[in-house]
Amino acid sequence: MGYLEIKDMEISFPTPKGKYIAVKDINLSIAKGEIVSIIGHSGCGKSTIMNAIGGMIIPTGGTVFLNDKKIKAPGPDRGIVFQNYSLLPWLTVYQNIFQAVDAVMTCSKFDKHEIVENNLKMVNLYIHKDKLPGQLSGGMKQRVAIARAFAINPSVLLLDEPFGALDALTKGTMHLELLKLWNLDNREKTIIMVTHDIEEAIFLSDRIIVMNDGPSATIREIENVRIPRPRNKLDIVNSPEYRAIRDRLLHLLTDKFSIEDLGIKYKN
Amino acid sequence: MKEISETDELKLVEIKMKVVPKESQREPDDYKKKIFISKLIEKGKSLLFTILGLSLFLLFWSFITSFTKGDLPGPKATLTVLFEMLRDPFYDYGPNDKGIGLQLMVSLTTVLKGFLLGSIVAIPIGILMGASNIYRLLFYPIVQLLKPVSPLAWFPIGLVVFKDTGMATVFIVFITSLWSTLINTAFGVSTIPQDHKNVAKAFGFSKMRYLTKILIPYSLPHIITGLRLSIGVAWLVIVAGEMLSGGTGIGFFVWDSWNALSLEKVMSAILIIGTVGLIFDKIFTIIENKVSYK
Repeated sequence: MGYLEIKDMEISFPTPKGKYIAVKDINLSIAKGEIVSIIGHSGCGKSTIMNAIGGMIIPTGGTVFLNDKKIKAPGPDRGIVFQNYSLLPWLTVYQNIFQAVDAVMTCSKFDKHEIVENNLKMVNLYIHKDKLPGQLSGGMKQRVAIARAFAINPSVLLLDEPFGALDALTKGTMHLELLKLWNLDNREKTIIMVTHDIEEAIFLSDRIIVMNDGPSATIREIENVRIPRPRNKLDIVNSPEYRAIRDRLLHLLTDKFSIEDLGIKYKN
Repeated sequence: MKEISETDELKLVEIKMKVVPKESQREPDDYKKKIFISKLIEKGKSLLFTILGLSLFLLFWSFITSFTKGDLPGPKATLTVLFEMLRDPFYDYGPNDKGIGLQLMVSLTTVLKGFLLGSIVAIPIGILMGASNIYRLLFYPIVQLLKPVSPLAWFPIGLVVFKDTGMATVFIVFITSLWSTLINTAFGVSTIPQDHKNVAKAFGFSKMRYLTKILIPYSLPHIITGLRLSIGVAWLVIVAGEMLSGGTGIGFFVWDSWNALSLEKVMSAILIIGTVGLIFDKIFTIIENKVSYK
């Protein structure tokens, strides 16, 4: 049995028009220290699966086990980075992290402050610790959110489209930052990430879960990424494995590749 | 990559010629001075319009005075009496003859007592109503039923319960201070974004931490708006309340002056009441700006 085990999970929501099934028949087994991406079109229940692992919602069918224990609520063993950072705008960068650490950890106040400081230094934001989130750029806010999730030292890190709002350059830096943090922690943290970005998924993940379109979304396919680590972005794009995976993912997610596929004749 | 053509290069040179020398010449102090001056002009402009507005008001007032053939005292007569009153505001010649300062103090004390009590009751109930559907269902009908009742209608009830006109006046201020604070607080709390709630849930915030780090900071601007509206209405009500209760206070002073047919004093009192109301509003506007986190 895997470290994180999802068994026959179904999640539905009551609506005025009746039951809306977001995802169903989800079976997944994730090992400790694995990096897994969930990829798919908008509204295919990617975030729903994340929320179920995070304990933010309870599945209407099936179960999610973490370390052989059934997940019933959010817990300190899982750190969540929300899609829109979810920092509290009236608290400084420092306080945003400290409040989470203070709520979750049981160590002394002194140790808590040290944890916050270390995590801020890790994401290179220590000099900005007294700023409010409104004074930060998108990439910096994202780093605060990641530092906050790391600070509570969870064994599973859940990232919901963590780099979606960032420009391509910042995104690239953040990928390396994330891998750096994962590496510094002896690659013991399991990372589950929702993304729209195929390149990002291949570069970061050990496995990529491709979802079918919702409603009643299911897992379409699971791609293994057997590119050895450490991966170099420049080198891997030319490797045959990378190309093969990218092509397969593109085919799974797209059915039209040119405007001619839309029935439009291209005029030369 | 697109190669830069000759004309492009020429343009670049042009741009550099135009921009760079200006940039290097500009001193930071110079820039600050410019901002300061433009701010000063802006301030002067708004002051000018304020003075213009007040002059229009005085003109209108004089017009009404001449229209009533001097029955209503004009600005000049009123201001003379007002300065007379302000010269010795704290004299005390027995229960029926006190300075305007003393009268004002009595009214302010009553308003602040009622307002504080009202806020102490309204904010927690507002928080409960905003946070929980059950409390909303429980309190909302009561609020809807009692809110439209004129504050003065509560006066007899206050008299019966407290057997004291002073307490009854505090009571009507208390009742009036409730509604705006209550409704605004409830609205603020009920609109806390799901994102903020998710943070609390994901990191297992305790009730107390949720209250102090999320609920109150988020709804504070709404609460202050409620308080600002409440104290405005409370100050509105106190004048009428003191006309009923008699004895002391600025409202009593207005009624007493009317009975003594000293309309200059009535007009002066109106100016003072207006000024105090304005000051209350300004104070709360300043607090409002202080606590808004954006």
